[in-house]
Amino acid sequence: MPSHLGEFEQLVLLALLRLGKEGYGVTVRTELLDYAGRDVSLGTVYKTLFRLEAKGMVVAHVGEPTPARGGRRKKHYVVNARGRTALQRSLAALRGLSRGLDLAPGAP
Amino acid sequence: MSPARRLGWLIPSREREFVLGDLEELYGHSPSRLAWEIVRASLALRFHRDPRLTSHVSPLTSKATVMDTLRSDLRFGLRQLAARPGFTALAVLTLALGIGASTAIFSVVNPILFESLPYPDPDRVVQVGEPGTDGTPSRTGYATFVDLQRMSTAFAALAVNSSWQPTLQDKGEPERLNGQRVTREFFSVFGVAPALGRDFTAEEHVRGQHRATILSHGLWQRRFGGDPSVVGRPVTFDGIQYLVVGVMPRTFENLISPSVQLWAPLAYEASLPWACRTCRHLAAHGRLKPGITPEAARRELDVISGRLVAEYPTQYAVAGMLVIPLQEILTRNVKPALLAVLGAVGFVLLIACANVSSLLLGRAMQREAEFAIRGALGARPGRVVRQLLTESVMLALVGGAAGVAIAWLGLEGLKAIAPPNLPRLGAIGIDLGVLGFTAGVSLLTGLLFGVVPAFATARPDLFTALRPGGRHTGSRSRKHARAVLVGGEVALAVMLLVGAGLMLRSLEKLLAVDPGFDSKHLLTMTVQTTGARYTEDQPVWAFWDRTLEAVRAVPGVERAAWTSQLPLGGNFDQYGVQIEGKLLSNPEDAASADRYSVTPDYVQTMGIPVKRGRSFTAQDDRGKPEVVLINETFARIGWGGEDPIGTKVQYGGRDRPWRTVVGIVGDVHHTGLDEESAPQIYIPEAQGHFADGGMDLAVRTRGDPAALAAAVQAAIRSVDPTQPILNVSTMEQLISGTARQRRFTFILFQVFAALALLLAAAGIYGVLAGNVTERTLEIGIRSALGASRSEVLGLVLRQGMALAAAGVVVGGVASLLLVRFLDRLLYGVRPQDPLTFAGVVVVLLAVAAAASWGPAWRATRVSPLEAIRGE
Repeated sequence: MPSHLGEFEQLVLLALLRLGKEGYGVTVRTELLDYAGRDVSLGTVYKTLFRLEAKGMVVAHVGEPTPARGGRRKKHYVVNARGRTALQRSLAALRGLSRGLDLAPGAP
Repeated sequence: MSPARRLGWLIPSREREFVLGDLEELYGHSPSRLAWEIVRASLALRFHRDPRLTSHVSPLTSKATVMDTLRSDLRFGLRQLAARPGFTALAVLTLALGIGASTAIFSVVNPILFESLPYPDPDRVVQVGEPGTDGTPSRTGYATFVDLQRMSTAFAALAVNSSWQPTLQDKGEPERLNGQRVTREFFSVFGVAPALGRDFTAEEHVRGQHRATILSHGLWQRRFGGDPSVVGRPVTFDGIQYLVVGVMPRTFENLISPSVQLWAPLAYEASLPWACRTCRHLAAHGRLKPGITPEAARRELDVISGRLVAEYPTQYAVAGMLVIPLQEILTRNVKPALLAVLGAVGFVLLIACANVSSLLLGRAMQREAEFAIRGALGARPGRVVRQLLTESVMLALVGGAAGVAIAWLGLEGLKAIAPPNLPRLGAIGIDLGVLGFTAGVSLLTGLLFGVVPAFATARPDLFTALRPGGRHTGSRSRKHARAVLVGGEVALAVMLLVGAGLMLRSLEKLLAVDPGFDSKHLLTMTVQTTGARYTEDQPVWAFWDRTLEAVRAVPGVERAAWTSQLPLGGNFDQYGVQIEGKLLSNPEDAASADRYSVTPDYVQTMGIPVKRGRSFTAQDDRGKPEVVLINETFARIGWGGEDPIGTKVQYGGRDRPWRTVVGIVGDVHHTGLDEESAPQIYIPEAQGHFADGGMDLAVRTRGDPAALAAAVQAAIRSVDPTQPILNVSTMEQLISGTARQRRFTFILFQVFAALALLLAAAGIYGVLAGNVTERTLEIGIRSALGASRSEVLGLVLRQGMALAAAGVVVGGVASLLLVRFLDRLLYGVRPQDPLTFAGVVVVLLAVAAAASWGPAWRATRVSPLEAIRGE
């Protein structure tokens, strides 16, 4: 049975898809802040990345060190097929459930 | 220092580089923000239940199941142990030595003291007999046995046996075997039947039809190749044909005489001269009826014995019978030694535990920061204790596994030095029971040595633990605990050393005992006449004379003589001796004397001093006036102040001739150097009532006696090559053999004491080395303020010696209380022997000083400048 995604997991997966090859801790956090208005700590981002990796939905690979990072290497994350499928199913469920609903405040 | 470098270790190591890199990229401009974010990230990551990180954080999680936590504890523990291979190896080695020694000793002791005998309903198997001088049932005469069997109702089976040494003559070399002649219910006593063939029939127990034999499994395999068709075939013993009727199962252990290889019916009749009441040469064993206690059986036999004594007052010295469980008989003599060894190895195990405990405490100080953070993040102390105990039990189990290997290696050595009276030697080995014991002991030791460090560590002070440079400062109580542990090790080592020292002194005293003859340059062996040629006395005597001539002709032989038994040769041949003019109404009250039937040169060959009168000459021959020599003890006991020389004695029964005492010789230790000499009587072999069929040869050589062994045996074979020669040995080997049980316990105590000393020294070294490291700053300041090297040296040495001295005092007092348990193992030395105690104190203090020297010397090398800069 495929795993379900939490809301924050969906956001992180979407951010990674937007970032393509440039997805790592810092960029994911920035993407969430810029496009979702969510200011989360780096630790929270990593927690979610680890969990997605454990679920087999993202793949990590180690990148090059840069001077801005004190010579430390980056860990890049890319969404794989399993991650895409899970995300698709989650969004479809959201769409299906919300179809025909009026979500405006004050609606009956 | 940048915050990333100072605090980076907070982040789980596996993700440290990437997370720190990201944090630096985001907050590198502001060190304080960066530091804060590192702490935040570490908290987030450590609270996170990521499978890849569980092992790092498991002590914190509280919702996990028991198995989950155990699994993660195990994984985390393994990682901890693997991360410090030096520490782990040292701890495992220490534990392996302690557990291995315990396992080896337990596997020796287990079948003897703890397992029941390998028979059905073993509690019902008893030894029966007239009360012996040592409190065990002694041998009984056939007529008495018949009466007991007829009148007693307590036994399901009752049987007697005598030893039998037939010489097997078939295709191969003639071989003398150890056997038993037994009565009808012998195998029922043990509840074991032949695996092949059958038990003896009633007819085969009748004199004249008793040429049947049952083989042991071992003999059947060795001499008959395990061929089942041997049952029903005849074999020849001593020129007489016996029918093989059965083979005993492989599992049958003949505990009353383990070397026995075959059995034949005893087939006595009451009319035989050697079936009399006073012919006490039969060992009796019984199987009690269900529900009958040995005590109840003894009461019944007492009544029967009372009747017999009333009926035959001159045939019994005392009334009463003994009925004692066989298990008790077998273990009686070895029990004190085995218990002492078991206790000693327990001490070694305790020392090993204390040592590992102390090691763990030392390491706990290095792990303070780890535990402090766990505590700060919400780990309950119980959770940390569990993690630490898991680690120590894992150490112990690995140590236990290595210990089994050590025990397996040590067991062969143990068997090689085992005393000859150790029962069930064949049952000694590493079996499931022993492995269970090892597993239990390992688990227990793991908890034992782990518990002190675990509780001392579980709740460290976050502030001091994380203070820069403060990471190696152990708490006061923990240092105290380490000192107590090491002091305890020293105390235990003292006790073991005292035991080993006392045994060494006993052994020295024992081997210094004058055996009563000159044991150097003396070669001995046994020769047994066998075969149809030697059924009459005359050819046997001729054989002894001719072989003696041949042996004397061997170059390097100074003197040679035959004797019916050798002192310290393991023989027992005593006769009641009556003295003329002092006749006792009950001949059974007469003094029992060791009887030596010897050729004329015997006393000179052995170097036994003639105290008064003369020794034998060639003139004391058949048909000449019959003469005897007696020893000094007999002269004193039998004649009081009177002069025995010229008086007459009689032995072997009223109808025997009176023999004139012509000389008094010195006492000889017959049964052991630690046994008092009994009365002893020497008669010329030529004047005996009968020719002894087997004799011991004593040869006085000019050089090394062992070097002449082959030549002397060749000389005997030149007379008759078919007669078996046994027990070839020098007298010095025989003497050292009599001390084997003492040597066994001594060697073990010596090994354990050495081990204890080594571990205690390592403990002292470890504590002091740790102390010197912690006190680097203090020592540096002292040096800066003008303390000389010798003052610094003294500072550390004093600490080591104080530890050792405290241990020596405690151990010394405990030893004084415990040595009384060794009393039965000592000889010629008081348990409180001051020399031993003083020696132990000197040895221990010397070892402690040596162990302290390294750390002390290192302390003198502390440079004040570096010490202060290091902070």
